[in-house]
Amino acid sequence: MEKVGIVGYYQVKLASDANYGRYEMIFEAVRGAIDHAGLKKKDITTVISATNDYYDGRTISNCFTVEVGGGYMADESKVEMDGAHAMLYGLMRILSGNHKLAVIWAGSMPSCFPYHSARLYETDPTWERPSALVTDISAGGFQMRAYMEKYGVSAEDIAKVVVKNKKNAAKNSLALPEAQMADITLSDVLNSEIFADPVTELMYAQPCDGVAALLLAPEHHALKITDKPVWITGVGWNQDPYYLGDRDLSRNKSMELAGKMAYDAASIKDPANEIDVAELSEAFAHEELIFAEALGLAEAGKASTLNSGIDGDIAINPSGGALGGNPPCATGLIRIIEAVKQLQGEANGYQVKNVKKAIASGQIGMCAQNNILYVLEGGGN
Amino acid sequence: MGRQVCVASAGFCEHASKRSDVNMPELVSEAIADCLAKVPSIGIEDIDAFVNGNMPAFEGANMPELWMTDWMGARNKPLMRVTTGGTTGGSVAIAGYYSVTAGLPGIDTVLAVAFEQQSQGDTSVGLASVAYGEISCLNSLGIPLEQLSRLLSAGAAIGVASYQATNYMRRSNITEEDLARVVVHNRHNAAKNWYAHLKMPNLTIEDVLDTPYISFPLRYGMVCPASDGVCAMLFTTEEKAKDMADIPVYVNGVASVANETAILGYDGAGAGQLDPSEQLGARRSSELAYGQAGISFPRKEIDYAEVYSPFPNQELMWVERLGLFEENTATEMYKNGTTAINGELPINCSGGVNSTNAIGASAMERPAEAALQIMGKAGNQVPRTVHTSLGHGWGGALNFVTLMVMSDEPQRKWR
Amino acid sequence: MSKMTRRKSMEYIKKEYARTRTMPASWYLNSYKYKYNVTHMKPFLDKLKEGKLVGLQCSNCNRVSFPPKLVCGNCLIKPDRWVDLRETATIATYTITYLKDEATGKIIEKPIACIRQDGCDTTIITELAPEINYEDAYVGMPLKIHWADNLEGSLSDIKYYDVIDDKSKDMALREKK
Repeated sequence: MEKVGIVGYYQVKLASDANYGRYEMIFEAVRGAIDHAGLKKKDITTVISATNDYYDGRTISNCFTVEVGGGYMADESKVEMDGAHAMLYGLMRILSGNHKLAVIWAGSMPSCFPYHSARLYETDPTWERPSALVTDISAGGFQMRAYMEKYGVSAEDIAKVVVKNKKNAAKNSLALPEAQMADITLSDVLNSEIFADPVTELMYAQPCDGVAALLLAPEHHALKITDKPVWITGVGWNQDPYYLGDRDLSRNKSMELAGKMAYDAASIKDPANEIDVAELSEAFAHEELIFAEALGLAEAGKASTLNSGIDGDIAINPSGGALGGNPPCATGLIRIIEAVKQLQGEANGYQVKNVKKAIASGQIGMCAQNNILYVLEGGGN
Repeated sequence: MGRQVCVASAGFCEHASKRSDVNMPELVSEAIADCLAKVPSIGIEDIDAFVNGNMPAFEGANMPELWMTDWMGARNKPLMRVTTGGTTGGSVAIAGYYSVTAGLPGIDTVLAVAFEQQSQGDTSVGLASVAYGEISCLNSLGIPLEQLSRLLSAGAAIGVASYQATNYMRRSNITEEDLARVVVHNRHNAAKNWYAHLKMPNLTIEDVLDTPYISFPLRYGMVCPASDGVCAMLFTTEEKAKDMADIPVYVNGVASVANETAILGYDGAGAGQLDPSEQLGARRSSELAYGQAGISFPRKEIDYAEVYSPFPNQELMWVERLGLFEENTATEMYKNGTTAINGELPINCSGGVNSTNAIGASAMERPAEAALQIMGKAGNQVPRTVHTSLGHGWGGALNFVTLMVMSDEPQRKWR
Repeated sequence: MSKMTRRKSMEYIKKEYARTRTMPASWYLNSYKYKYNVTHMKPFLDKLKEGKLVGLQCSNCNRVSFPPKLVCGNCLIKPDRWVDLRETATIATYTITYLKDEATGKIIEKPIACIRQDGCDTTIITELAPEINYEDAYVGMPLKIHWADNLEGSLSDIKYYDVIDDKSKDMALREKK
């Protein structure tokens, strides 16, 4: 795989009810990324967005965003998944040699729509939707229970992930203010409102408003734009079957396969030792543990014993992860941006020391049905 | 720096206004089966990655590929979803092309599927919600809702199309009879195509002009139907395609340039396209795609074209904007038979979108038909050998265009 | 959803099929609240209240938008220069709708136009004066704003557009006769 560089990025500060118009927010992110790289509108050759018709309440949700998203007279398309998947399409377009600069932007505003009922439209309309027993939250409950029972992990172990991520988020100025909790304790997490037993309110990544944008360029072009581009050296993506009963919820096979594909491309043999930072988009606290195991960062059932703090053996979600703010569609792209910041040494306040290789993931679907993983290197370190 | 991509096969399901005998996943697997039947040497297990898309609001299901995974054979395989409204099919096909040309390790054979089962949902709701956000914005800026519903009552797609038709008719000085001629051309062609929806072998221009106006200058008889249908295309590398198919079809150029919206601007603002029949995006797309494919004289070099034209005025407009005919001459070409199946440059021999419109799939059926014409496997096959063909799609508020230029030999210019 | 489509889709749901079953479901668009930006609209609406028209010009490409655009798509910057516009306009394109009057059941033919305010580079969808015969509308027809009786600083201050004398058209008609 040829090298493709990440040359610029921008993330709007997350908010639970942003005082922004939809188009203004998108414009700020895209313009911010272009300015960050010191480029102009005419440099953009392709634009890939990630939005969702049901999240935006608009059929063809990219129809009216052409002008604000930098897509005017550019080769434009939309991936209706996570922003990380949109970056995959952008990566393909750069690799094809047809394009010199790709803008990837993603995001939505859950303050404008009923998030959980929009998620309900993802379920099978004939069997599961009418009963509404399987929702995005109850699916998380099934998954957490399956994981705890299989490996004998306690709810406290999972609450520790929440404490770590929310404390990390407190150091990240762009994280959701409500999720920045410097003084959170285990009992706060365990005693918060129960969403779907054993999942409590604080274990769930709160949807919030946010847009992020990122720029990709081929190797020779990237080096002209910036001194320290971050290289994408591996990518893998995969989809699990839909019915929860068809899957072993205590592990995540699609993430395992995505990880294998990405590691093979980046020739990573021993992920636990080679990778310095992992930014995983976890919709629930326990998913961080499941992903860490699926990606070979820990043995099965042992992820809760990892020392995954900012100063730990392997830093997982030093930015706070999705628990520090989960704007639907943008979460995965923000994880990539955070990994890029770590590689470039620009994560003020939550910088991990000596980062050489980082991974970042994105997900969609119930219980993380479709996962995508990137291996990132470079960044001047 | 990219690699050659070939279309090895393309398949359809039978289109009808209501395919109530099957549900959406079953409909999808019909087309995939038809696509794979044409390449007997491989099976569903040989597909490395999937790309799919539809217009989710039309069936009332968000990201239906999540629960359709197993019907597509995509269990534990890489899958990506691309949707861009009316151009969804074209965008999915282009994403299939990029998936192969990128040369990601292990991704050689990609199945692209675009589908729509409009009978499952309420198409008018799906179309109205395109502009619902912008309309509610205009409403809060002071325009009463009942006036807005009157202004946009023609419904999103046909609404913008009728504005475009007025402009085009004035620009090219054509009559309604010229529009009806295009409809007759399409419906007659559809009668010979096995999967088409509106088959009318005996339709006459008078019949079309006899129907009432739906929205001036378009009449009921000129407008596309709403169909249920699926299209699947198999993209693979040059080497593998030579093993799979007798005549591999090389994808030489792709483009999907976006323009400002027409008729309705974002956030209550004015719309940027002054003349919706000007189509700057299509002109720019064709420059890009022809440039990649090394085509300097599209009129001479392209042997067959499938353009996305739910309404007859658009068919005339697109063939001009894509450089196939000089401006204001398309009507003449339909009159003198240049565009007929045995003419010099046959257009829409499948019957086009005017006869079969499963919205999400339609824009993919255009490149799929164009590829099958080169392979010689199309439903309504052109008798002459087709060397280079074109598949086109439009969508959004007249601001999206997709183009795919294909040929029986590799021509792609490497930058 | 209009009453008619709702009724139609319910009938469709009730229908009996031999092999399949159908079930109702719907997308509650009313549960969405759309946010949009007003900062760039405010000066425009304030001027409307005074009976004046302003457009927003992009300082990079000089295109004028009316009503104002938040972002110029060509340059990807926020336009910031206000320019005064005249009250005249032309039809950029139009269509005729055929709607049933619910009270009388008669079909009403009504031209609906996309007009371009003179001196600006965008179009806006609007209604024409009720006395205009739909057969008279044509692309390029000159128009003038008909203000509402009470100006309240909203888009409805522009009630509709009147036709102004078009000498070229008269000439053409006279020649025909």
